[in-house]
Amino acid sequence: MPPSTDLLQGTLDMLILRAIASEPQHGWAIAQRIQQVSNNILQIGQGSLYPALHRLEYKGWIKAEWGASENNRKARYYSLTRTGRKQLDTEMENWTRLAGAINVVLQEI
Amino acid sequence: MFSEWLSRLRFAVFRKHRSEVDEELQFHIDRQIEANLAAGMSLPEARRQAAIAFGGRQRTREQCREAAPSWTMELVLRDLNFGLRGLLRNPGLAIVAVLTLAVAIGANSTIFSLLSQALLRALPVRDPQQLVVLNFAGATDGHTHSEGGDRPGHHYEFSYPMYRDLRDQNRALSGLIASAIYNAGATWQSHSEAVDTELVSGNYFEVLGVRPAVGRVFNAGDETAPGANAVVVLNFDYWRTHLAEAPVTGRPISINGVQFTILGVAAPGFRSAVWGRTPEIYVPLTMQKVIEPDWDYLADHHSYWITVAGRLKPGLNAEQASASMNPLFYALREQEFAGAKDRSANNKHHFVDASRLNLESGARGFSPIREDIRTPLIVIMGMVVLVIAMAVVNVASLLLVRAANRVREFSIRYAMGATPPQIVRQLLCEGMLLGLMGSALGLAIAPETLHLLIRWMQGRAGDVSAFAPTLDWRVFAFTAGAMLAGTVIFSLAPAVQFWNPRLADALKQQAANVPGGSLRFRRTCVALQIGFSLLLVVGAGMFVRTIQNLRNTDPGFATDHLLAFHLVPELAGYPGPQVAPVEQRVLDSISGLPGIRSVGATNDSDLVGEGRGGDVYVSGYTPKPDENFDAELPWVSEGYLQTMGVPLVAGRLFNTSDSANSLKTAVVNESFARHFFARPQDILGHHFGRPDRPKTDAVIIGIVRDVKHTSLRDPVQPTCYTLFQQGERPTGLTVYVRTWQPPDTAASSIRAAVANIDSKLIVDDLSTMTDQIDQQIMPERTIALLATIFGLVAALLAGIGLYGILAYSTAQRTREIGIRMALGARRGSVVGLILRETLVLAGIAVGLTIPVAFLATWAVRSQLYGVSLADPMAYAAGILVIAAVATIAGFIPARRAAGVDPSSALRMD
Repeated sequence: MPPSTDLLQGTLDMLILRAIASEPQHGWAIAQRIQQVSNNILQIGQGSLYPALHRLEYKGWIKAEWGASENNRKARYYSLTRTGRKQLDTEMENWTRLAGAINVVLQEI
Repeated sequence: MFSEWLSRLRFAVFRKHRSEVDEELQFHIDRQIEANLAAGMSLPEARRQAAIAFGGRQRTREQCREAAPSWTMELVLRDLNFGLRGLLRNPGLAIVAVLTLAVAIGANSTIFSLLSQALLRALPVRDPQQLVVLNFAGATDGHTHSEGGDRPGHHYEFSYPMYRDLRDQNRALSGLIASAIYNAGATWQSHSEAVDTELVSGNYFEVLGVRPAVGRVFNAGDETAPGANAVVVLNFDYWRTHLAEAPVTGRPISINGVQFTILGVAAPGFRSAVWGRTPEIYVPLTMQKVIEPDWDYLADHHSYWITVAGRLKPGLNAEQASASMNPLFYALREQEFAGAKDRSANNKHHFVDASRLNLESGARGFSPIREDIRTPLIVIMGMVVLVIAMAVVNVASLLLVRAANRVREFSIRYAMGATPPQIVRQLLCEGMLLGLMGSALGLAIAPETLHLLIRWMQGRAGDVSAFAPTLDWRVFAFTAGAMLAGTVIFSLAPAVQFWNPRLADALKQQAANVPGGSLRFRRTCVALQIGFSLLLVVGAGMFVRTIQNLRNTDPGFATDHLLAFHLVPELAGYPGPQVAPVEQRVLDSISGLPGIRSVGATNDSDLVGEGRGGDVYVSGYTPKPDENFDAELPWVSEGYLQTMGVPLVAGRLFNTSDSANSLKTAVVNESFARHFFARPQDILGHHFGRPDRPKTDAVIIGIVRDVKHTSLRDPVQPTCYTLFQQGERPTGLTVYVRTWQPPDTAASSIRAAVANIDSKLIVDDLSTMTDQIDQQIMPERTIALLATIFGLVAALLAGIGLYGILAYSTAQRTREIGIRMALGARRGSVVGLILRETLVLAGIAVGLTIPVAFLATWAVRSQLYGVSLADPMAYAAGILVIAAVATIAGFIPARRAAGVDPSSALRMD
């Protein structure tokens, strides 16, 4: 297993929001998705995934509903709320700006 | 959007259900197992890998809980729950601490609520800080009706003409009001009773800014020509308690037999511009002749009877107003002097030149009784402060003892992984709980105590009290806050040791050895408590001795089997000439009742702190220059001296041959006679009278022994008795009845006899002489009662404190005691060992306190009567109480220590 990279503080929330932006997902799928898309670089421990999901739900950025999973089991699906979507936009914008700036600094100096 | 808010609101209070979280986590693992199976693992392997990948399930669950917004609240609740359990583990200690706090908070709030009403609080009127009270310097010649409060250079009573001129001509005040208090008889729907009546100027309510609760109050137009406007305003409390809030506006009420119309009811809470007056009705000043029919004050420049207060114009202060009004006052005094009889230069100097008008700040109202009750209230306040100090020390030492016993508990908890903040939080919660419970209990008892205390100080049930039973919230909040802070601080004491780097050592040693410093601190606490309680117990003893002395003072006549009541026929509407005859009929009919030994009456009640007196002359005696001899001048009935049992010294007493029309006669006491003649008997046959009042001239026919008349405290006054039937004018009487019967039986037959003559006659304040004396020494009795209660509470607190420390220190010495007993010490000697230590501590405390107690007694000596500052009884009783408390408190732990089994004590560590 490739070494996991510690996520920057606060980026986990953004990743979760982004992972459910297109369609509702359950917890396991969110973790899988992030892992696959990042080519196994970003591994999300369950110990941080679920508290984060709950925190976001308490904040009102995402909402949860029981639904049937791909193998027809009862699963909890998370989707973005309107506030969550706005929050995702802001965070992505911030991130792009920050990452761009860091890149510039790393290449120019 | 709305549902989003709703869910957030829900989450703020509740968290997600536990099973919901569990199900979600389970799904995750199952899904991982499926994925692993799909990747070709065997089932057990797939499960194992999924579990490994997931990690600690319980930890995740907890983290999920901690993400909830309600987590903080949950923590607080958990801490509170934990704190409560901690307290309940030692319920006795918790109860004692809570009770101690409650007593301190309750007592302080109650007493200070009274104190602030009497001494600090402004009158319940509009802008009280603008009010000024007027008084003046300068001679007064004529008749003064004073409630007290005068001092040299400060007469508070003005004449009505002077008031009117000042009110109409001054330019510094936006209003000037006047008032006087009298007793009157009111008949409402055929029920008659005596009521306190305040005669007030028409602008009284307007200037004070007191609004009506019902109907209307007076306005300037109600102050009309004398006797022309029979209207009355009721006090709110009187209306509520005596008239049951009946509709009153426009209804008639009979006052002293004259029909008055009720205009309305004054605002609740308002009593008078003079603090301490408790009028039940208000009548315009111009109706004076109805309320006090014997006198005609309104036109008289030389009758001083009304107290005057004003409201400053905005922007002026009392000095400026005084400067502006003094020329006017001086001019008015000059005018008055022009009409005076004695127009000598010497009198002009006293009357005009020395006159000066003073304006004092009047926000709290003029009050003749304020000075009287200031000292008792401050003494009581001092006792409360002592009790509070004791309570604080007591709670502190209890908490420290508790802390010491818990070193082990906290060490273990710390070793098990509790963080210091968690432990501090727990201690904080315990302290807060103690403090909050104490405050709540204090709050629960304070209003009731206040009520009881006011009731106890009140003369008759149902009277309007000068004190309102409202708790001073600022005082309560302050006391409760201070106590809470103290409790929390001391409850944190055990946390201090967690800054101790040698915690592990402490744990190893079973944390039994407490540094000596802390023991010394606790001993100081106990010594302080013993000292405070000794102070209070000795004080209580002093005050109890004072009442004993006052009660046992020999007034010169027997006070047992003596009933007294007031009879004022004018209150029932009797015109002047018929007053004395009806009074005589009442006296005759009562003396004819079975079981009555004798009946007497006077216009000058005995031993109730009132007096009627003035200057006199005696024929054959030339007064020395500037001699100012005032005598008590009671008017009495023919049987009075016999009824009171005043012994005759020479001459004769009044008898039935003395009547309204016979030769006027007088009986004097020895002090009176001795003032005029070296041989008292020489005064017999001489004439006595009041200067310039020829109708008062009477022949002195007898001399009687000195008896106390005005009050028990004051020395005997020179007194001259004359017959009320021979008086210049009609007068109300206090009737004394000496009976063979129990007071209750006699009382009802007296009432029946009076009602038989005229049912309108009011038998006012019928009670035994002993009760009346008790009523007069009410301040002393109140202090004694409170001092006794506080003294007992203090002794109890000291006992608890002492017990706490001894129980702790003997428990610490279990091992030492075990060794002693193993070496042959007997149980008795072990008990003696502990007791000796206790008594030595108590003895030192007592020794240090006695000088302080002496000083404290000296400070309150004005409230004592007939008690020496070093009264051996009071001190002996105090020391005895302390010794008893110390012995009991020491004996219980000592016996427990003596019951130690040596072998188990030695095996303990």
